[in-house]
Amino acid sequence: MPRAPLPEFSSSVKLKYVKLGYQYLVNNFVTLLLIPVMAAVYLELVRMGPEEIMGLWRSLRLDLIQILCSFFVIIFAATVYLTSRPQPVYLVDYACFKPPTTCRVPFSTFMEHTRLISSDEKSVRFQMRILERSGLGEETCLPPANHYIPPRPTMEASRAETQLVIFSAIDDLVRKTGLRPKDIDILVVNCSLFSPTPSLSAMIINKYKLRSNVRSFNLSGMGCSAGLISVDLARDLLQVHRSSNALVVSTEIITPNFYAGNQRSMLLPNCLFRMGAAAILLSNRRRDARRAKYRLVHVVRTHKGADDRAYRCVYQEEDAEGHSGISLSKDLMAIAGEALKSNITTIGPLVLPMSEQLLFFLTLVGRKLINPKWKPYIPDFKLAFEHFCIHAGGRAVIDELQKNLELSAEHVEASRMTLHRFGNTSSSSLWYELNYIESKGRMRRGDRVWQIGFGSGFKCNSAVWKCLRTVKTPVDGPWSDCIDRYPVDIPEIVRL
Amino acid sequence: MDLLWTISTILLLCSLLSILWKGFDRRRNRSCYLLDFVCYKPSDDRKLSSELCSDIIVRNKRLSVPDYKFLLKVVVNSGISEDTYGPRSIIEGREECPTHDDCVDEVDDCMYRTLDELFLRTSISPIDVDVLVVNVSMFAPSPSLTSRIVNRYRMREDVKNFSLAGMGCSASPIAIDLVNNIFKTRKRTLAVVVTSESIAPNWYYGTDKSMMLGNCLFRSGGCSFMLTNDPSLKHRAKMSLKCLVRAHIGANDDAYSCAIQKEDDEGRVGFHLSKSLPKAAVRAFAENLQRLAPKVLPVGELALYVLRGFRHRLWRSKEAKTDAATAAMVNFKSGVDHFCLHTGGAAVIDAVGRALGLTKYDVEPARMTLHRWGNTSASSLWYVLGYMEAKKRLRRKDRVLMLSFGAGFKCNSCLWEVLRDLNDGGAWEDCIRAYPPQTLVNPFMEKFGWVKEA
Repeated sequence: MPRAPLPEFSSSVKLKYVKLGYQYLVNNFVTLLLIPVMAAVYLELVRMGPEEIMGLWRSLRLDLIQILCSFFVIIFAATVYLTSRPQPVYLVDYACFKPPTTCRVPFSTFMEHTRLISSDEKSVRFQMRILERSGLGEETCLPPANHYIPPRPTMEASRAETQLVIFSAIDDLVRKTGLRPKDIDILVVNCSLFSPTPSLSAMIINKYKLRSNVRSFNLSGMGCSAGLISVDLARDLLQVHRSSNALVVSTEIITPNFYAGNQRSMLLPNCLFRMGAAAILLSNRRRDARRAKYRLVHVVRTHKGADDRAYRCVYQEEDAEGHSGISLSKDLMAIAGEALKSNITTIGPLVLPMSEQLLFFLTLVGRKLINPKWKPYIPDFKLAFEHFCIHAGGRAVIDELQKNLELSAEHVEASRMTLHRFGNTSSSSLWYELNYIESKGRMRRGDRVWQIGFGSGFKCNSAVWKCLRTVKTPVDGPWSDCIDRYPVDIPEIVRL
Repeated sequence: MDLLWTISTILLLCSLLSILWKGFDRRRNRSCYLLDFVCYKPSDDRKLSSELCSDIIVRNKRLSVPDYKFLLKVVVNSGISEDTYGPRSIIEGREECPTHDDCVDEVDDCMYRTLDELFLRTSISPIDVDVLVVNVSMFAPSPSLTSRIVNRYRMREDVKNFSLAGMGCSASPIAIDLVNNIFKTRKRTLAVVVTSESIAPNWYYGTDKSMMLGNCLFRSGGCSFMLTNDPSLKHRAKMSLKCLVRAHIGANDDAYSCAIQKEDDEGRVGFHLSKSLPKAAVRAFAENLQRLAPKVLPVGELALYVLRGFRHRLWRSKEAKTDAATAAMVNFKSGVDHFCLHTGGAAVIDAVGRALGLTKYDVEPARMTLHRWGNTSASSLWYVLGYMEAKKRLRRKDRVLMLSFGAGFKCNSCLWEVLRDLNDGGAWEDCIRAYPPQTLVNPFMEKFGWVKEA
């Protein structure tokens, strides 16, 4: 007798429960194993009765000396274990630069300036098309030097922009955390496209009168993922120096990098890069653990520079007319996807629950030994993280990652809205996105955040943070005056 | 009573074990060995004779005759020989408009040549490198210089790379500090550091005198060196790092702005060296020595220093005590055998030599490096070290102090201990026999007498 086929929904529902059951089983394997053991021991104790238990105890013939010895040995072993563990790194707080409204560049202003500066009609129209599809909003900001027609990329203007963005962010951070500049032990600054001598770290030391034995490092040329490289360096330094704190400053200076030519592959940065900066206070002091917002769990860096295609996809060079700019290749998205896959291979085993790892491993074995046609299993990272901060490099990057990681619209909302409100602020964008999530009141204690940055080279860097205390709204930050308007619906194309 | 005795014995044992453990913990991963270093020797067609320097200076039509005289005087009195090297783009006449490729080629040539030789000499494959640090102060392209190296040598995906920029002439100890800190967090790590400077994009073609000195003194040079904390490679290592001290007096406004890259009145970017630079250098130097002395000097010398200080204060309290005089009260030669001084200029070397109480023999490596290679910025310390090695001065258990100054204003120093007798010629191989020369006087002096009168 032919059986009626099962309706779609009930089979999918059954599958969902099977999956849940499987995850619960594998992730709590050890606990589930221990329960019958504990039950057996308890039943045995109950059965034996107090008399027999005392008899058992006396038969061991424990001396006071031996008890004390074992006690001390246990304490000693515990101390050795605790002191040789890596020091936890806490994120006490961070502050993002809020650009002044006088620096706003709405689409109309951008297009008007472009038409006045550029003589080539084709490149003007190309930039318009980029802007229409960019996912940027009307409130992104460019530094004062770029508002001139043509822009004035002098070193003095670059220094002025640096002072504006960095000092505002650090002043905010000082106000929020009560940090005294004389207490800063480590200073790491990253700015990819502007590295004067003396360095930006020296500029900060000069302005805030830091101590003479501060360990300062200035990273440059490392691209949009340099923020996480700085965090990695600060973390390594905090492992070595006990009871210290580190100030990490991530920024990108727009003024000296205006591209004055007409080559298409080099026009994108003009359209997408905007002013931004973030200052982050990291610490390994125990007293800061109480007031810290996050704890750094992992930092994973992947460098695909050995592959020529990846190496050349974001490349600074001169065009035929001698104008210097950064050319972006057409394979950028594909390369970003590959770099992400490499990064996931390392970070997956560190963060994914056992159930996902087992499935991935079994599918891998199956593909290799049984049938290569099996679909590769993409681990569900939503089980490992509650929040995702994807570098707001451009709409295409966010789309690509959403597809690769199978994320929902809410997961990538922080990235999209940051791109809309602030544009591509390079290495500091991850901090604007984190601030968005906090401002929306979504950050709860115990939540895990995954920050992913991409940069020239080609690099993909990830950082995993764990939230230590629920962040209460309203949050003082760059989103404070506009968070209620978000999220906005960003159309595919904004007709200009 | 018995119990008390036993408990106290146990407590004592535990505390002893804790102290031993702490000591052991401090030592493991604490070592930082220098496996080898290779200094850059550019090709001979890039040599800058005084005559060629004079031609290049005269190309700048904005300068007047007194300006030419001033610049030639600087070149001739600098203690720099006819054999130093300059970038190709400047020699070929493109000093005012170097292309991006010119700048990249200049740095590439240095990095790749030295790295090729370094990997060859140490027989270590690039794929084994765990940490890569590049410091070039005045040029930071995208992708970074570290990415260029990762691409060329096909290094691993998880290589930790750092590209330091803007950190001035004392960036070598900063890079070593970075690597040393990473060494303390992981075992059996191999690091490669490349230090160089970029001259082609930073040629100043204006008329501000304070910015023209850089043009006259800086020369092409660089060095790649390999560090490791793997004890199994100790037998191949040349030196071991003992301590490192960094002093940054940027909090003082004069110190911060005494060596700064900025635009002149006509909008041309140049490296401004102000008259307050020596004062800033002295302050930074004193700051560094204050922290370095206790780590480097033997206890006896430190005690003597304290006593001398008391005596000075008691008997000559009216006399103004300058920082340099304080430094002279300490005999650094009791704890250090060789001194690698940054070759910032003849005046700098002499001043530092006087402050440390050094003899002509001690400052000879630095003076000869200035003569043969010019001021190669951050890599100068390595050329000085190369001279000592080529002259077979470095014997096992000798202690070498590297001391350098940089914009910001910084003074960084590090102390090495030599692990075995060293005798590689390195970049000095072909010319060490001619050193020290009979005279350091520039042959130009005789040719153009009017320079002396200026």
